[in-house]
Amino acid sequence: MAFETREEGVFTVVLVDESRLDASIAESFKVFLFDQIDSGKEKIVVDLSQVRFMDSSGLGSLVAGLKKTAGSGLFALASAQPAVKDLFDLTSMDKLFSLHDSVADAVQGD
Amino acid sequence: MPDSNQLLRLQIDSQLSNTTLVAMAVRGVCAMTTLSPVEINRLELCLVEIVNNAIEHAYGNEAGHPVEICVGLEKTSMSISVSDWGTSIPSDVIDSQEPEEINPDHPETWLCSGRGLHIVNKLMDDVSYETEEGKNSFIMSKALRH
Repeated sequence: MAFETREEGVFTVVLVDESRLDASIAESFKVFLFDQIDSGKEKIVVDLSQVRFMDSSGLGSLVAGLKKTAGSGLFALASAQPAVKDLFDLTSMDKLFSLHDSVADAVQGD
Repeated sequence: MPDSNQLLRLQIDSQLSNTTLVAMAVRGVCAMTTLSPVEINRLELCLVEIVNNAIEHAYGNEAGHPVEICVGLEKTSMSISVSDWGTSIPSDVIDSQEPEEINPDHPETWLCSGRGLHIVNKLMDDVSYETEEGKNSFIMSKALRH
């Protein structure tokens, strides 16, 4: 399965087990995220360690998750790889997200 | 089509899952050049954005249509054209201004749609768009060190 979840304390860690978070899977990832949020998961950390490439559609799915949790929950990102970090920087979306070096940092709030 | 010494022509069917095929092929060509790893990643991003745009907007995400990618390699530049035979991009979209600046306090500014074209405009050295006899071509080029 492309997306997996595990619980770490009060956090739900969503692993994107794909090397490319692009337009071909962005919509299904958004639906997966929304299902998690709708089922009551309020503190979500997306583990991007496996993602080597992301396009604006993939970025859009993350923004959709952030919007859906805005105000009532937490939506953080962990382990973004260089090309993914570059996309956040290019689009100034790094202003929106909490980007952590690792899932451990994210769940500790570092 | 790029006017180049070395020309690679690729064609895929209009399905988003096929975009990776051309991305990997163009990465292979990039490996022959002086582009740095960061520049290659960015060029791949630009290519993917434009190919996806052709599939999603020119063909409305309908499979069964051709998307042609031509990669031209010269000593001082690399050019890529992405062509489709579907709905052309409106000129106001091609000429649109930079998107509104992201403001964390205003979710209405957190838009991703349309950012693909702006990314390409920002990262490539030259960008143009033309329609001729029903064939729409987005042409972009990047200078190479030599």
